Amino acid sequence: MRPGLEELSLLAVGRLSYSYPDGHPALREISFSLDAGERVALIGPNGAGKSTLLLHLNGLLPDRPAAAPAVTVDGLAVGAENLGEVRRRVGLLFQDPDDQLFCPTVWEDVAFGPQQLGVAEPRLSELVGESLGRVGLRGFEQRLPHHLSRGEKRRVCLAGLLACDARLLVLDEPTSDLDPRGRRELMGLLTALPVGQLIATHDLEFVVETCPRVIVLDGGRIVADGPTLELLDDEPLMLAHGLERPHILRHRHPH
Amino acid sequence: MHIPDGFLDLRTAATAAVLAGAGLAFALRDVRRRLPARRVPLIGLAAAFVFAAQMINFPVAAGTSGHLIGAALVTVLLGPGPAVVAMTAVLLLQSLMFADGGITALGANVLNLAVIAPAVAALVYALVRRLAGSGQRSMLIAAGCAAWCSTLAAALACAAQLAASGIVPWTTVLPAMGAVHMVIGLAEAVITMLVLAVVVRARPDILEGMDSVEGRRRAMAAYCAAAGIALVVFVAPFASSMPDGLEHVAERLGFASHASQTLSPGFAPLPDYSVEALGGDSVWLSTVIAGGIGTLVVFGIAWWLARALTARVPPGRH
Amino acid sequence: MLRDRLLSPYQHGVSRVHGWSPGRKLGAALVGVVLVVLLPRGAWAAYAATAFGLLAVALAARLDLRQLGLRVLLVEPFVIGIALLALLRPGGLPVFLSIVAKSTLCLVIMVLLTATTRFSDLLGVLWRVRVPTLLVTTLALMYRYLFVLLAESERMQRARRSRTFVPSRTGAWRGGAEVAGLLFVRASERAERVYLAMCARGWKS
Repeated sequence: MRPGLEELSLLAVGRLSYSYPDGHPALREISFSLDAGERVALIGPNGAGKSTLLLHLNGLLPDRPAAAPAVTVDGLAVGAENLGEVRRRVGLLFQDPDDQLFCPTVWEDVAFGPQQLGVAEPRLSELVGESLGRVGLRGFEQRLPHHLSRGEKRRVCLAGLLACDARLLVLDEPTSDLDPRGRRELMGLLTALPVGQLIATHDLEFVVETCPRVIVLDGGRIVADGPTLELLDDEPLMLAHGLERPHILRHRHPH
Repeated sequence: MHIPDGFLDLRTAATAAVLAGAGLAFALRDVRRRLPARRVPLIGLAAAFVFAAQMINFPVAAGTSGHLIGAALVTVLLGPGPAVVAMTAVLLLQSLMFADGGITALGANVLNLAVIAPAVAALVYALVRRLAGSGQRSMLIAAGCAAWCSTLAAALACAAQLAASGIVPWTTVLPAMGAVHMVIGLAEAVITMLVLAVVVRARPDILEGMDSVEGRRRAMAAYCAAAGIALVVFVAPFASSMPDGLEHVAERLGFASHASQTLSPGFAPLPDYSVEALGGDSVWLSTVIAGGIGTLVVFGIAWWLARALTARVPPGRH
Repeated sequence: MLRDRLLSPYQHGVSRVHGWSPGRKLGAALVGVVLVVLLPRGAWAAYAATAFGLLAVALAARLDLRQLGLRVLLVEPFVIGIALLALLRPGGLPVFLSIVAKSTLCLVIMVLLTATTRFSDLLGVLWRVRVPTLLVTTLALMYRYLFVLLAESERMQRARRSRTFVPSRTGAWRGGAEVAGLLFVRASERAERVYLAMCARGWKS
């Protein structure tokens, strides 16, 4: 990574390594960067370390902050002093929306983040309404989470992140177990959002349609980082890392 | 065991509420000071778990089924402080949302199931654990005994509150509730032990709740004091009203009339005295004996069950 | 599902009663319950008057009376069961009837409260009157994950039933305990993830 890049990029990860408590290495010398407004997919087989990597981006891992932080977000080093601000700027969308949607009503959940930041009424309700509107869920304020579909729950979580003015969205398998309509709606949402996004996913068709750049992770290491069409069309590469060439590329016509 | 509104008189309800509030305040302070932040959501999830687990059916006889109460289980898993908070939350929800347990009786219900039950469970668990040694088997035995004792304690407290409110004579309700809950407590002990065995098998690291409390004698002493005071406060009024209750029983059973026939009016005090000698001692004695036998029986059953649960064939075979 | 409806006493509606602030409704309910409890035994006229008053509130709130009645009926057996103890005393019949009447009236008050007020609003009231944050957080998380855990429990029990070819009581007890045990393990693992999610959203304990 070129020195000085930390100040320019939205996200800069430099030689990040991490081992599980039992000693098993999870991440080895991960280095990459992401610019504002970029949408990058993170793909790889199960167990490659995708989720572990994502948890490093807002300081949830490592448990004890390292002396020399390997992650920089928006110019801030992800270390013990900056955690609060980092977590505001990095919106992490968990794989299971039920884990993230922990408040009794939709309104309270979207308001949770802003309340931590000191936003008060009447701005608070406005903000909640705006955020829900941005994800297409206007009017959902008083709904109870367990009455929502999975796609709706995901969008509520997203609204909660947008309400805090996150600069970087980090999403863990956002289209898993969504029905086709929910998936299409989410895709439309993400492509319309101007914030930078790093999306860990298995959904290769989704990657082709939404992410111009892809990072391939296997065994805790980055094995490829480049344009989507180029990498996903590389069948030997895909098969070597527990993936495959998506259908959308296999049956592509030259026009 | 949830007392609805309209059963307790205001004095009993208020006393119970004050005691419950004190127990809860102590538990909250204990949790705030000692529980690491990452375990805080666990209290809420544990409360949800108790509620959900209470709905699981354990069939007893044709049509009827038993249910887990959960106070002892959650005490062993989380420790007494968090258990108090979790059980209080469950009772609050049940009372507010489902009218299962009255609002004026909330103090009494919280005192019985969310303060006394976890306190007694913690105490008995720590004691039996010390006696039975370390290891999984002794943990299960201790949990089983804790479950039985806590169920009985909560039931006796409940009975005392009902009697103190004048609903029902204490001589009837105390032994009746006691006897019934000795049996219910047995089911609670068995279920608690079975569930714990499953939890420990799946996640052996999970059981730091009570085991880490072993050294904290100060918290233990405080909880015992709370439980003890609560029980005493409710039994003491009976000591003073004992003659009334007994006279009532005596009238119905015909003792009093018999006594007044044999003695001259000059010896008016004697009928009461003889009634006390006849009724008082034997009721107490039989209760104490029943309790003692019950404890031994429960300990024996817990021992047998713990052996069955831990004498597992090697993993791989279910 | 029937169980879901039983667990959600709130009846959504637009009425004057629904519009009152939750604090006021909770306060009114508490005062009502205390007053009823203070009524002397045998004050049948007062009981009847209260009953009519509550019916008027239910009608004003345009509530589904059948649902309300169902909720009251669910708890009534326990009320009667405990009240039967009063019959053990000679001359206990009027006491028994009074207790059942008063208790049922209190029941109706609480059912009316929960039919017109959301639980999350009640939590808000508790927080505003300075109930300790730890307790309110616990209540909120409990309420939120109650349904999740119930659904998990249901799925596990269903899976178990599908694989039970020879029903037996010991099997049922072992199965019930396994479901409960696994439910706790999953709940505690979920608690860890919820903690991470709360931290990720800026929660400071």
